[in-house]
Amino acid sequence: MTVAGFDEEITVIPRWRRIGGHMLQSRAACVGATILLILFVLALFAPWIAPYDPFKIDPIHRLAAPSAAHWIGTDEVGRDLASRIIYGTRYFLLICLVTAAISSSIGTLLGLLAGAGSPLVDGVIMRFIDILLAFPYILMVLVVVAVAGPSLWTGMVAVGIAGIPGYARLVRSTVLTVRQEDYVTVARALGASRREILFGTILPNVLSPLIVYLAFATPLSALIASALSFVGLGAQPPAPEWGAMLVNSRTYLFSAWWAVAAPGLALCISIFGMNILGNGLRDVLDPRNA
Amino acid sequence: MAQYVGRRLLLLVPVILGILLVTFLMKALIPTDAVTAMYQGQLSGKSAEKAIAALQAKYHLDLPWYRQLWFYLSDLAHGNLGESVRLHKPVSAVIGYRYLNTIMLTGAALAIALVLGLTTGIVAAAKRNTWLDVTATTIGLFGISMPAFFFGLLLILVFSVWLRILPVVPHGPLAIVLPAFALGIIEAAPLSQVTRSSMIDVMRRDYIQAARARGASELALTIRHALPNALIVVLTIVGLQIGNLLGGAFIVETIFSWHGIGELAVNAIQWRDFALTQAIILVSAATYLMVNLVADLLYAWLDPRVELTA
Amino acid sequence: MLDRRQFLLGSTAVFGALALTGIVPALAQSGKVAHMRLTIDPEGLYNVQSISLVVSDVLGNYLVESLVYLDEDGKAQPWLAKSWNVADDGKTVTFKLKDGKTFHDGTKFDAAAVKFHFDTIMDPQSASPSKGMIEPLSKVEAPDGETVVFHFSKPFAPFINLMALSYFGFNSPTAVKKEGDSYARNPVGTGPFMFDNWVPGTRIELKRFPDFKQYRPDAKNQGPAHLDGVVLDVLAEEGVVTSALQTGELQAAELTADAILPLKGDPQFEITTDKNAKNLMFLEFDYKKPPFNDHDFRDALSYAIDRESVLAAAYGGNGKIALGPLSRGIPGYDDSVAQKYGTPYDPEKAKSLLDAAGWKEDGGVRAKDGKKAQFSVLSYAGSTTERALAVIQANFADVGVKVDVSTSDWGSFYPRLLKPTWDMDLNRWTWPDPNVMSQLFRSPGHRQLLRADPSIDEPLDKADTTLDTKKRMQYVSDAQKAILEDRRIVPLITDWPITVVREELENYRLDFTGRLYSADLDIAA
Repeated sequence: MTVAGFDEEITVIPRWRRIGGHMLQSRAACVGATILLILFVLALFAPWIAPYDPFKIDPIHRLAAPSAAHWIGTDEVGRDLASRIIYGTRYFLLICLVTAAISSSIGTLLGLLAGAGSPLVDGVIMRFIDILLAFPYILMVLVVVAVAGPSLWTGMVAVGIAGIPGYARLVRSTVLTVRQEDYVTVARALGASRREILFGTILPNVLSPLIVYLAFATPLSALIASALSFVGLGAQPPAPEWGAMLVNSRTYLFSAWWAVAAPGLALCISIFGMNILGNGLRDVLDPRNA
Repeated sequence: MAQYVGRRLLLLVPVILGILLVTFLMKALIPTDAVTAMYQGQLSGKSAEKAIAALQAKYHLDLPWYRQLWFYLSDLAHGNLGESVRLHKPVSAVIGYRYLNTIMLTGAALAIALVLGLTTGIVAAAKRNTWLDVTATTIGLFGISMPAFFFGLLLILVFSVWLRILPVVPHGPLAIVLPAFALGIIEAAPLSQVTRSSMIDVMRRDYIQAARARGASELALTIRHALPNALIVVLTIVGLQIGNLLGGAFIVETIFSWHGIGELAVNAIQWRDFALTQAIILVSAATYLMVNLVADLLYAWLDPRVELTA
Repeated sequence: MLDRRQFLLGSTAVFGALALTGIVPALAQSGKVAHMRLTIDPEGLYNVQSISLVVSDVLGNYLVESLVYLDEDGKAQPWLAKSWNVADDGKTVTFKLKDGKTFHDGTKFDAAAVKFHFDTIMDPQSASPSKGMIEPLSKVEAPDGETVVFHFSKPFAPFINLMALSYFGFNSPTAVKKEGDSYARNPVGTGPFMFDNWVPGTRIELKRFPDFKQYRPDAKNQGPAHLDGVVLDVLAEEGVVTSALQTGELQAAELTADAILPLKGDPQFEITTDKNAKNLMFLEFDYKKPPFNDHDFRDALSYAIDRESVLAAAYGGNGKIALGPLSRGIPGYDDSVAQKYGTPYDPEKAKSLLDAAGWKEDGGVRAKDGKKAQFSVLSYAGSTTERALAVIQANFADVGVKVDVSTSDWGSFYPRLLKPTWDMDLNRWTWPDPNVMSQLFRSPGHRQLLRADPSIDEPLDKADTTLDTKKRMQYVSDAQKAILEDRRIVPLITDWPITVVREELENYRLDFTGRLYSADLDIAA
């Protein structure tokens, strides 16, 4: 990197150290991080933690109430709910990671190009983003699934695509601001190439708003993905995906409440954890809110 | 101003055309059409194939996608949205009533979101960093963490079955309350947060300090001086939220049997009823774009510092 | 001009107040009106255009009447027809009509109206899905006002019983001609209720037809309907329907076994199951593809499924397991054949059959000639199919066969069956006549995958063309045996549709084909 000297002064690394300290002070962020950590642990060690095989059916003991044998009861075909919830963390995290990766990578790239490119490039990209934004996201998801056939992966890709505009707009507006900053002008004066400025100088400064947005947009994507099963287009049975479990058991809300409450609360708490983490992150990274 | 509006309207044309192009391309990739989806598994015998082919020809479904797009555009230029294969009706006759229903629902939901979001946001800002603030934020965050269909069923259980104060079947004026609440609560939390932070921001400004020095009460300061300025910021995100509300309406509409375009959209796609799907996409996209244009104009009018540049 | 601050505050308040009042027109209904549930909004109420379940239910229950009805033994009895006569060669059927029936619009019901209905079905322009059901019908004549003559290209045994279905209930020819394309939105029949109003996607309102005369002797009420009107509310969500029954916003609804759980044991509700149900859930294969072209492999799979568990999981036990390829509610079902040639749950037998067929155990999943026993099952999305598949998947895993499940909405599911990218599918069909077997299982089959097999095709063809009931039923029985011996499908269960009726609604009864005696309905004062 040709502008190494500048990099050292302005890169985000020193700021991150500060952020770590602030984060610890934010109780909300701690709660959120703990919930997320628990999810990761459950996902990693699911086979050791889960008391039963999450796919093992037992129609005779279907919809059994919570008991010592089944901590939170059994579902409509007699599978152990606790085990399914524990294995479900894998699907939940997978959905979060995949949708976030798709939306943020494509969205950031488009935003960078639009913000730093020529007016023509900007215009074309922003019209494309307008199309994505104006296209009702749920219809977009439904159409993509109708094209590619139903599976959890198509669903995730579709939800990921629907999330692109948010990132693109955020990154573009940040780039437009950062472009005016002195250090970018200096880098340009020092003869740094366009690409170096874009990825070496501008991108690192877009990171902190990006991370805040990531923390808010990801749980939203997870919520949308959970609703896919509502129209029969989500994770395929017998996958213990919480959204699918919730959708399939929702009629039992009035009779076998535990079958509904288990995936419902699992989803609520996990998404809540991510939201609260996002809130904490924003308080730290965006000082106006402190 | 007029010039700006003109330019903005002009920019909508490529967006609308782009949406049409994208949907027609996707349609070309979808392996079945409305006629096949409707009759397969129902029609049998030799007459079936002929009947399907006849219907496909009637709706131009046998043509390549770009020719279908051409037919569609020329129909559209004459104000004709096409005909629904499944419902044997012109699309405009199908979606008009449902569109009004959805507008009514999103309007009511937005109102609820605004009332809830603004009050909690103002209170949270005024009582910053107290237990009240923390509680409001926490409840708000929990609200946006709940799947809409889960929350919707809980609302029905509590207000219809246990308390018996609101109807389940959408008859009568009270029917809108539950679906609007289920939909509105999702948008209330972000509104509340934006209100809170912009209130805090505004309250720090000089003119508020000056008014305070003149002896204005805290309540008057909040309502008369700070709130109008904070609302300007809120306005910008309301425009974006309309998109979320329109999109989110589909689940809420299904749960509460609120027969709007969201519910229809899901059916239209499952029926592969393309004219219907296309019309719903166009109408919601147009609504979204217009609402945002109006929001931008209002924003510029309300905040003289904003320059209108397209 | 308005001050900016005033504008903002004012508009927020006005907007909020406006939106909150919600201007939904209240329904002004007087008298005795029953509210019933519809699962989805019908696409149109014209039986020539649409034959979906919801359309036939609304038409058949309230609006249209047919030539015959089926009594509790499944035997055709005169309804709008006075009598009928089948020619010796079986190619001509003559109906004599009863006198004095009028449509809701005053048009006289006569032979011309009957002829008009069938002519419209057979007109290629109408692309009627009903046409396939009466394929051998070649011509209809109405020599006088009360005589209708049907001509067939070959003898067609199911015809008389098919005439009991609402697909062949009659519409006013005057109205059909006058309304044209919009007739499906303004149906005119001869039934006890007439069409009043349709709020698209929301509800259909019907009112009593004051001049109605009941021509079915098995109805309790021989005069006009007791109720002043019926409102059919479109309610998709099962849990919501349960709630609406509890609050009294609905008087009756068909519901899944899950959704009735909160209502069980409450004396306010009568829960009835239709034990005459004529549906069958079954598993079928892509017969062109190995190993499913192998009889022994299909045989092994047939023994692997625990039908009682499927029934418990999918329908809460509401129904009966099926060993035969014909639903036990359909006349001609032969229980002795089902018991003798059926494949009751026997996982050990399934395992030994797989061993014998060369599928060797290999760490959980079997394999033969290097190919793993891993297959795909398609079905349509829905709580019942998904639960059934969960059990089937587990049952197959127990014998060393792995299946991947893929469900989608009907719009994607059925077209996917026509492509060679799948191995098995779970399907469910409802039909009142044994000729359902020829529709589904006679080569080439409904997905063009079955090779010709005279041992099955012949009895099926004979069953469809033999008019003598006793002989016909023998062929129907032979066909069941042949289909079972071939292991062509794996019959699973017949479920009993559940209806919940609130106590105030009296005389809710369904006939053999599931039609409601709607003129009998009454609401206790």
